[in-house]
Amino acid sequence: MPDRTRLVGNAAYGWLLLLPAAVLLAAFTHYPAVATLAQSLFTSGTALRPAEFTGLDNYRFMLEDEVFWRVLENNAWYAIGTIPISIALAMLMAVWVNRRLPLRAFVRMSYFTPTVLPMIAVANIWLFFYTPEIGLIDQIAAGFGIGSHNWLGNPDTVLGCIIVLTIWKEAGFFMIFYLAALQSLPPELEEAARLEGAGHWHFFRRVTFPLLMPTTLFVLINAVINSFKLVDQLFILTKGGPDNASALLLYYIYEVAFSFFDQAYASTLTVVLLAVLAIIAIGQFVILDKRIHYR
Amino acid sequence: MPGKLKSARTAVLALIAGLLLAPAAWAVELTMYYPVAVGGPLTKVVDGLVADFMKENPDIEVKAIYAGNYNDARIKAFAALKSGKPAQLSVMFSIDIYELIEQDAIVAFDDIVETDEERAWLESFYPSLMENGITQGKTWGIPFQRSTIVMYYNKDAFREAGLDPDNPPATWEELVAAGRKLVSKSGDQVERWGVMIPSTGYPYWMFGALTMQNDQVLMNGDGNETYFDAPATREALQFWRDLGAVHGVMPSGTIEWGTLRKNFLEARTAIMWHSTGNLTAVKKNAQFDFGVAMLPAKKRRGTPTGGGNFYIFKQTTPEERKAAMKLIRFLTQPERTAEWSIETGYIGTRPDAYETPALKQYVVDFPPAAVARDQLEFATAELSTYQTGRVRKLLDDSIQAVLTDQKSVEDALGSAQEQADRLLKRYR
Amino acid sequence: MVAIELIRVTKTWGSTVAVRDISFEADEGSFVVLLGPSGCGKSTTLRMIAGLDDVTSGRVLIGGKEMTGAPSAERRVSMVFQSYALFPHLNARENILFGLKARKVAKAEQRDRLVRVAEMVGLADLLDRKPAQLSGGQRQRVALARAIIAENPICLMDEPLSNLDAKLRHEMRVEIRALQQRLGMTTVYVTHDQTEAMSMADQVVLMRDGAIEQQGPPAALYDFPETVFAAGFIGTPPMNLLKVEEVGSALVIAGTDGPAVAEAGYGNLVMGIRPEKIAIADGPGIGGRIESCDYLGADTIVGVRVGSQSILVRAHGRHLLPAGSYVHLHWQTYEVHLFDDETGARMTGARSLPIAA
Repeated sequence: MPDRTRLVGNAAYGWLLLLPAAVLLAAFTHYPAVATLAQSLFTSGTALRPAEFTGLDNYRFMLEDEVFWRVLENNAWYAIGTIPISIALAMLMAVWVNRRLPLRAFVRMSYFTPTVLPMIAVANIWLFFYTPEIGLIDQIAAGFGIGSHNWLGNPDTVLGCIIVLTIWKEAGFFMIFYLAALQSLPPELEEAARLEGAGHWHFFRRVTFPLLMPTTLFVLINAVINSFKLVDQLFILTKGGPDNASALLLYYIYEVAFSFFDQAYASTLTVVLLAVLAIIAIGQFVILDKRIHYR
Repeated sequence: MPGKLKSARTAVLALIAGLLLAPAAWAVELTMYYPVAVGGPLTKVVDGLVADFMKENPDIEVKAIYAGNYNDARIKAFAALKSGKPAQLSVMFSIDIYELIEQDAIVAFDDIVETDEERAWLESFYPSLMENGITQGKTWGIPFQRSTIVMYYNKDAFREAGLDPDNPPATWEELVAAGRKLVSKSGDQVERWGVMIPSTGYPYWMFGALTMQNDQVLMNGDGNETYFDAPATREALQFWRDLGAVHGVMPSGTIEWGTLRKNFLEARTAIMWHSTGNLTAVKKNAQFDFGVAMLPAKKRRGTPTGGGNFYIFKQTTPEERKAAMKLIRFLTQPERTAEWSIETGYIGTRPDAYETPALKQYVVDFPPAAVARDQLEFATAELSTYQTGRVRKLLDDSIQAVLTDQKSVEDALGSAQEQADRLLKRYR
Repeated sequence: MVAIELIRVTKTWGSTVAVRDISFEADEGSFVVLLGPSGCGKSTTLRMIAGLDDVTSGRVLIGGKEMTGAPSAERRVSMVFQSYALFPHLNARENILFGLKARKVAKAEQRDRLVRVAEMVGLADLLDRKPAQLSGGQRQRVALARAIIAENPICLMDEPLSNLDAKLRHEMRVEIRALQQRLGMTTVYVTHDQTEAMSMADQVVLMRDGAIEQQGPPAALYDFPETVFAAGFIGTPPMNLLKVEEVGSALVIAGTDGPAVAEAGYGNLVMGIRPEKIAIADGPGIGGRIESCDYLGADTIVGVRVGSQSILVRAHGRHLLPAGSYVHLHWQTYEVHLFDDETGARMTGARSLPIAA
């Protein structure tokens, strides 16, 4: 019996140690998620019209909501546009600045600078790049005799503009991870490959790239999450316009929640966002994990 | 000795009591949120006015809390409301009225005013500035920081194009004609456009001006009906689009609200429509001779008003309401209103403010300051309905869809109206 | 035929000189060991032969051809790294074939060579494993296989055995040597372990502070060390290096009254005598007291206090003499090496004296 008491005591002790973390996790992660899910099943109440249970009405409304489909499609293009290019660019820059370069510290810093600037500040800078006539891009284009272009005012180019800005902002950040990974690679690997007659490209393709895969997975997950999370620039650059051509899911959620004050529908959209992110994250871990060499 | 001791003890007790009760020297405490939507040291001006008020009313303590932009202020007010500790009064977007009523957050001024004098005070503002504050036959908002749209134009460009700089276009036709002359090209490349009307940020607001000029309002006074697909509304949007697509006096696509002022200041456009809130900045930075005029007319002149009103919250005691009334009345006295207008560039909200020596002199020294006032005669309410965020967005999206040639005027406005009807049905 | 020739090669990093004006040759098919303490420049020398580091001045010839400045890939040398430098994400097969694939050798040829080489190094059953799943010795074999599959005439090895335990190290020493002889590869092998050098080398290049101290076959280094450093670096235990003092016309071991060990008149000298060349005798000889006895099995290393110095003696068999017991040491005159105390160089003119009573 004393043994048993001790076991119980130990278990209780263990749970007690877990308690603070568990409480915080439950209060700030699990409860809000569940509350969001619950709220998506009700109408948005006002003082005069209290919330009512409506089942899946909000979801039905969502499926008919043209704007929802539009922002979802935009988000898909945004992800496809930003993720591969920013990762490839990050890898390229990291390999490049990992060499012995003159002013290496300076080059590294300048690649990293976009990352430390707040997105709002960046967006304000880029607003004046994109502005027609007086913007930097148009002024440079004018130097080559190319006419002005309304980059942000045209539904065909606006999303591309947002994508370019995001790549510029993100690539430097991802580069830091790649740089750290590259520096942990033993230099003899490259020397051994050189002796074996492998060129830079062969070595990169057969050795560097596969050995960077754990970093790539990490960066990829971050990039995917960011493609749903990074919407600050929209507030400055386009407010989602023109005609929702640059609106992204999270921005739409913000608009519904704080401009339309429709908490219930915002919750519905949030549930969808959570589901999409969860599916992507699980998929990435399951599929890619098998094909990655962790040292 | 005991007597002495006792009196000492009494003195200490009195001191303690005095300390404890000291805050009670103010009979009422007020918390007021206010937003700042334009540049400049506005918080200082507000703090100064509030300090003046407290000097005059030592029994009322006012905490004026800067609450970000209009959107932030609304979110903050609602958060405070939900937490059960709301402020007593707030300056908020004039078009938040229906949302506030729907949340049962505010109280109508008609239910607070007691004396005839107070009732007369309600009538002392420009009627067009009251439109956004009145619904269901009651007054819910008192105008405070209010603006309209005016037309800024580059007089040097007018001279260069052979136009009379003192005779800016007064009709749509004149606008197009002047615009055509004002466009200057180098080869195929436009160096200066004729006119720019911003279509991001607040397209519905600019559109409110165009429709009013075509003698059409965008919604009814109860905020439960819109007229997005009325023929006059369609004509107005068609005209806006045609400025770029047909007449070639404005760039096609949307025009960015945030950079438009720079476009104007760099003479990339000869005319811009913009808020009166930009007056001071344009005055300071323009390297050329510029003028400010009323917006041109189609059937009549017209502009929506904009900006913030005072609201009093429902969760207040009668004393607090009375104190809040006192504060609002203090801040809207003609002299204060004049001071506020001169300091900020906002419109003086009542005619008698313009009769004060200070504002009278200011208008003489800087005539553009009078344009906004003179235009008030033609002004109408800013788009504001129940579910106002959603309804506004419907209109914004269809304007942008038309300006970027994604949809025809009929399709865009037709579907906006249809969806607005669906949203507003239950408020009728 | 000379496979590798270094002519007055110098390497500097900024103001530090890593390798100073060294020259040596490696004959085709020979096994050359670069020996020296850490930091002596032996690895840098190897890397310059491989082309991984540039030479600052001097020339590198490989197979008679000028290779100074040529890229590594063109030098036709293989290399085994101290860390093995295996690609952790590739299995043994892929690691071994890496170079052949890079050089686009035909598939069939790759397969043939792989079978042969895997057999040779005893990896045939382990080809599908990744480096992390292999033991230290097995990884070593993969590295070796990768080096020999290229069939380059030259193989460079940088302390390849230093990560293995003593027993395995001995085995691999034998194996590498056998493999090298079988394939006829010219091998340059870097180590700080003189045992490896002595047992494997055809030719030893002893380095110190970036310069060559002495080069020659192992026996030459053992029998005729040219410097005090060479004398002290080679042999286990290394040569006894004793201070001597002048007494009259002769030199005695410092702190003793005699007998004389060498003639005087050549300035300050250091006397060297190998432990295994000293006999513990009943007399006559040099008197001393036992300090320690380390029994190693075949031999016993006996420490003897003579005057102010300790002398190590390798005695055959088991000797357990109590500490403090008095013994006499004796050696043959020709086993004594005399060095200049200042320069450390061998004094060829000085004569040692037979030990009298």
